[in-house]
Amino acid sequence: MIVKVENLTKRYHGRPAVDDISFEVKPREIVGFLGPNGAGKTTTMQILAGFMPATGGQVTVAGFNVFSQSLEVRRRIGYLPENVPLYTDMRVKEYLRFRGRLKGLRGARLRARVMAVLESCGLGEVQRQIIGSLSRGFRQRVGLADSLIAEPELLILDEPTVGLDPNQIRQIRNLIRGLGDRHTVLLASHILHEVEMVCNRVLIINRGRIVASDTPGKLVGLLRGNRRVCALVRGGTPENVQHLLEGIPAVVNASCEPHGEWLQCYCESKKEDDVSEDVFRVVAANGWSLRELHEERRNLEDVFAEVTGEEHGHGLHERLNGKGAA
Amino acid sequence: MRNFLTIWFRELSACFLSPVAYVLMVVFLAVTSATFLLDITQDAALDQPLTVTLFESILVWLTILVTVVCMRLFAEEKRSGTLETLMTVPVTEAQIVLGKYAGALSFLLLVTFPVAITLLLVVAVSPVLQLGDLDGGALLSGGLILILVSSLLVAVGLLVSLLTRNQIIAAICCFCAVWGVLLFGWIVTIISGGGFSTTYVTVTDHIRDFSRGMLDSRPLVFYILGSALFLFASVRVLESRRWR
Repeated sequence: MIVKVENLTKRYHGRPAVDDISFEVKPREIVGFLGPNGAGKTTTMQILAGFMPATGGQVTVAGFNVFSQSLEVRRRIGYLPENVPLYTDMRVKEYLRFRGRLKGLRGARLRARVMAVLESCGLGEVQRQIIGSLSRGFRQRVGLADSLIAEPELLILDEPTVGLDPNQIRQIRNLIRGLGDRHTVLLASHILHEVEMVCNRVLIINRGRIVASDTPGKLVGLLRGNRRVCALVRGGTPENVQHLLEGIPAVVNASCEPHGEWLQCYCESKKEDDVSEDVFRVVAANGWSLRELHEERRNLEDVFAEVTGEEHGHGLHERLNGKGAA
Repeated sequence: MRNFLTIWFRELSACFLSPVAYVLMVVFLAVTSATFLLDITQDAALDQPLTVTLFESILVWLTILVTVVCMRLFAEEKRSGTLETLMTVPVTEAQIVLGKYAGALSFLLLVTFPVAITLLLVVAVSPVLQLGDLDGGALLSGGLILILVSSLLVAVGLLVSLLTRNQIIAAICCFCAVWGVLLFGWIVTIISGGGFSTTYVTVTDHIRDFSRGMLDSRPLVFYILGSALFLFASVRVLESRRWR
């Protein structure tokens, strides 16, 4: 285990920001840390990086205690804080050399690492520019280059793609995905799509507690509610089509509404039943036309909404705990 | 040691990366020479060595220089969040504090010493004043007290800068603290009604004595220990965020 967090608690003026959380991260894992604003993501990351003490609990990174062996821990991490603080009066290369030296790199190795991160973060063309004159995207990459420069075992990235344009997000995402070969990455984000694509495992934190922890795929599988198949049909009247679709044994509920010249039909079924083939047979048997037939995919966004939403929060949480997944 | 040098170099070069350093140098030279020249022309009859006038006029403006240099030391890092990146690399608090201290102090000396030399050159080429008035020994001991006073004031300013993230508050508090240190001896004398001797801690007296050429080891100890005390306090304050 590279990261081991046991019963971590952090209180600000008596109000808990992180409330008794425990989790582990294995080497070379990319773990996504999700949660609404103010859920305790940044606090947890700051504690892991040794910037802030915890109120209670144990945190170890690569076997070293974050509180009592802080220097050893700091030698092994690369930390990118949320708003990417940089010395805006320095030039990019100069800044990276400075940071590399502070992280213990010297001489030829320092030069080689600076060149390597300039290359991998796409900073070659701006290496002589003053950081203050760079765009948000480039600054973000300078911060990322800084966190990578000493080849740390653990990378802690707090919202690395916030404020970037879609192209830049894709570049950073590819970069992070490539890091998984050599580094362990803990990535905080609230861009669910990004986490779903990049991470091996997802931790969802809400109000200082971990409410879900699993691979994105398994989390989606645990969602409550029915499956929904959507079909665009032409030929019959809405009432007739709806009636025949309801006749399919596995269908719990069906609806049909005109959608231009077509009828948009939804068939709900239990989670274990797939009714799309039956829907096709009914349509074909009646000689109607079928333009579209698909199952509505549910994604991490639904999981997120379910576990962090006000009234439904407990359902999935309990089911996860019941399965021993959290 | 290497980390200390890295931070020192970064602090010193940071001063020259913004126009602040150059503006400070020019303004400091202007106001100090104005004060010095006014003093020697108006109080020509005053019976005091030239070196005393020189170092006293530097000291008056040194208080503002220290304030401007020190207010950003930590307040700026806290405000912009770079303290977070600085505190999460394998560098100890003592290295950070000493590196920043050395950076600020060396910048201060880089500004003040050329000014002192410039003013002496002005005096040397002036047809009115004879360079024969100058005492080489007094000049050296005056330079020494300038270094000592600067090191204490920077240590005080550094501690003040650590306590706030607002640069304006840092500047105001720093200015008050610096004058508090300068006038400490006087304040004690006034409060105690002249009850006990405060010459050991009266900075203005030390300046006068040293720039007359009166070397004394007791103020030496006072400044070194005083700077060490404030630096130690700064390291502790910076460390305290790890146990709060």
